[in-house]
Amino acid sequence: MSKKVDIKVTVNGKLYERSVEPRMLLSDFIRHELGLTGTHTGCEHGVCGTCTVWFDGEPVRSCLMFAVQADGHEVHTVESLGTPDNLHPLQQAFMEKHALQCGFCTPGMLMTFAHFIQRHPNPTDEEIREAMAGNLCRCTGYENIVEAVKLAAQRMAGK
Amino acid sequence: MSAIGHSTVRVDASDKVTGRALYPGDINLPNQAYMKILFSDRPHAIIREIDTTQAEKLPGVLAVFTARDVPNNEYGLGIPDQPVLCGPGSNKLYADRVRFIGDQVALIIAETEEIAHKACKLVNVVYEDLPIITDVLEAKKGDAFLLHPDRGSNVFGSYRIRKGDVEKAFAKCDVIVEGTYTTPAQEHAYLQPEAGLSYIDEEGRVTVVVAGQWAHKDQEQIAHALNLPNEQIRVIYPAIGGAFGGREDMSVQIVLALAAWRLSQRGINRPVKIIWSREESIIGHHKRHPYIIRTRWGATQQGKVIAAEVEIIADGGAYAYTSPKVLGNATLMCTGPYVIENVKVDACTVYTNNLPNGAFRGFGGPQAAFAAETQMNKLADALGLDPVEIRWRNLLDEGDLLSVQSPLPKGVSIRQVVEDCALAAGWKKTANGWRRENAQNAATRAKYLKRGVGFACAFKNVGFSFGAPEQCTATIELHGDATIEKAILYHAGADVGQGAHTAFRQMAAHALGLPVEKIELRMSDTATSQNSGSASASRLTFMAGNSIKGAAEEALKKWHNEERPAIATFQYRPPATTPYNAETGESTPNFAYGYVAEATEVEVDIETGVVRIDKVWCSNDVGKAINPIEVEGQIEGAVIQAAGYTVLENFIQKNGQVLTPSLSTYLIPTVLDIPREVETRILEYPDPIGPWGARGMAEMPFMPLAPAVIAAVHEATGVWFNRFPLTPETVLFGLEEQQTA
Repeated sequence: MSKKVDIKVTVNGKLYERSVEPRMLLSDFIRHELGLTGTHTGCEHGVCGTCTVWFDGEPVRSCLMFAVQADGHEVHTVESLGTPDNLHPLQQAFMEKHALQCGFCTPGMLMTFAHFIQRHPNPTDEEIREAMAGNLCRCTGYENIVEAVKLAAQRMAGK
Repeated sequence: MSAIGHSTVRVDASDKVTGRALYPGDINLPNQAYMKILFSDRPHAIIREIDTTQAEKLPGVLAVFTARDVPNNEYGLGIPDQPVLCGPGSNKLYADRVRFIGDQVALIIAETEEIAHKACKLVNVVYEDLPIITDVLEAKKGDAFLLHPDRGSNVFGSYRIRKGDVEKAFAKCDVIVEGTYTTPAQEHAYLQPEAGLSYIDEEGRVTVVVAGQWAHKDQEQIAHALNLPNEQIRVIYPAIGGAFGGREDMSVQIVLALAAWRLSQRGINRPVKIIWSREESIIGHHKRHPYIIRTRWGATQQGKVIAAEVEIIADGGAYAYTSPKVLGNATLMCTGPYVIENVKVDACTVYTNNLPNGAFRGFGGPQAAFAAETQMNKLADALGLDPVEIRWRNLLDEGDLLSVQSPLPKGVSIRQVVEDCALAAGWKKTANGWRRENAQNAATRAKYLKRGVGFACAFKNVGFSFGAPEQCTATIELHGDATIEKAILYHAGADVGQGAHTAFRQMAAHALGLPVEKIELRMSDTATSQNSGSASASRLTFMAGNSIKGAAEEALKKWHNEERPAIATFQYRPPATTPYNAETGESTPNFAYGYVAEATEVEVDIETGVVRIDKVWCSNDVGKAINPIEVEGQIEGAVIQAAGYTVLENFIQKNGQVLTPSLSTYLIPTVLDIPREVETRILEYPDPIGPWGARGMAEMPFMPLAPAVIAAVHEATGVWFNRFPLTPETVLFGLEEQQTA
């Protein structure tokens, strides 16, 4: 086994210091080392998008990065978006618009769109679809996800 | 306000949007060990020897289990023809063989997943290869090498229907249309790969936390393989990340239970965890069956179909799974929702060394509908009739006899769904019958883009068919004193993502006359709930609804008799069905059906071969939409999955190996690949025995899409495709063949 590497990563605002295998994936680090299981893994090679998290504020696929690459960086996962009592407008809209069924893709979708909405406060359908192309959903047929993103954007713009 | 008929928010929505919902892979217990499965890397071989010495010596390895460690080394939903672990030394004669690359050979349990993975590679398996049979037509031959020597034939299921006299009828036909149709395998591709956890619970039960579709059947199959009474096995379903039929059969359930049980016998009381990779998931669970359907239909000049002859050959793959039942459905549905006086069907399902095939949304219906509806569309073409008009002249009405010589149960609505869909998609009822307006004038954006519209319809059973035992049980507890303060519903029905538990709560509230907030759910644990039957066959709303309705009525009676708490358990049994008569197929196959019609408009790029589905109109009779937004979600999801099946998804196996074992090689639709618009049209013609009129509905919208798209592509290009997926290559080859012909 390879020699472990010490890393310091800020996840959801909290600093974690861990000693990890150099080949440990960032997704496994988040799930197994930190116990933040809201981040899912569905393909382990960057296709399905369920493992999407923010890396220094940008959405990335955490299964395509190593934990050691996050040393000194800031990561945000779905657990940072909102809580049941204080939901992010996107979370609220996903619930209301039935934008999820099995829900396995949902955290990845949310992390993709929470970022997208910051850049596109008034998105068109086309822009939403373009942004969603990297996140797979096998249940919903996507339409309600588009609707939820639109609703959240409207509410956020209205604030 | 009534609790049903409204789009309430899912009961699990808050947990799912905050990342708090726990799927099997998200659950961890203190001191858990990790398991890896050594899969066969041969499609067909006898295992002469398994040497686990080196693996066991690796530091951190707790145990390696093989066939010798399985108390009763067989399982299977219908036929127990699959070893839990393949290899020598078990109690079953032919369990020493592997028959497909996903067969499981050894279990390695270790301190970490990484160690287990390393140890896997240290297990030395000596294989003696056997002939690999991947072609159903070869496998079917009398002298073919037998995959299961104890069964005497590779054909492991067959049905026949004989109604009237097809030969005489064909002699009277003005038009006869023949076709040989082939349908592809399809991967479920639910986003949550198989995972689970096992441990011995506080009452000594071997407990498995896993994602499945029928907790009590999982329990029964585990108990059978472990030679333990059912009560000593406990199955719990946490959040389930999609299923679509793909979790109907065992994946990690039995081996997880075996591992925890055998470890505990060695004095090691540790939970065991496993998570499959996507590749393991793809080789490790079954697929939708590829079918070959040869068929000949004849009609009179007036467009009345009077004869249909069909031969169905299904690739069952290495083990039975639900193949015979899937075939049963296809046998019934291969002549469509039509009155045909003379029918002859011969259907069989055959073992091969391909991955096993089994349940997948529609359960044999989509394959059958593809052949039946394409035949109908070709007949319309040959007779110069409109595709809706020809259907109108042949549709089943109440009292008409099916091919199996019994009528459909009351509440037949195929004519209503066809009418609704046709009107929505631009057809008109005229004095001369149904016609589509502007049929030939569809505008195209460019010369190389050809447009067309297609139509198809289908019927699908709700619940288990052909005499299979069918029931569903619910328990309701009413708590309070003067008034009911809360009601607790205990139910095993699996919420695989479709939203069943939300509908359960609504139905319980409605039946009890309480607001939904007063209903507490205790779901999917064999220790607290009774048998619900599976989340399949579009049955759960119908069956669970009736069980909840019955339990609520009885609990209320007890409540009024001053019982506190008032507790009632109710088992719902639908009207009995009967199996196919072996010679004629005569039977009462089902107790309820759902009906659906779809039209679609496509654009074909004749230079690149790309088929784009522009619009789908789907009219689905759901009886009563308990939660309309969930119903809509099922329709949209089914249509998109069917669109993937028809034009995109291409599961490739060669010589028993899977060439598309990942989501980068097996493509499912992204948001950019889906039809531009799906118009969902929910119709509510009540089922007389459905709970509050509800019918099953989740599979139906899958069924007519492929034949509707094929018909639209024909209108656009003049070419009939008898196979799909309509990948660009397939389309271009088809267009070229037409040019050279």
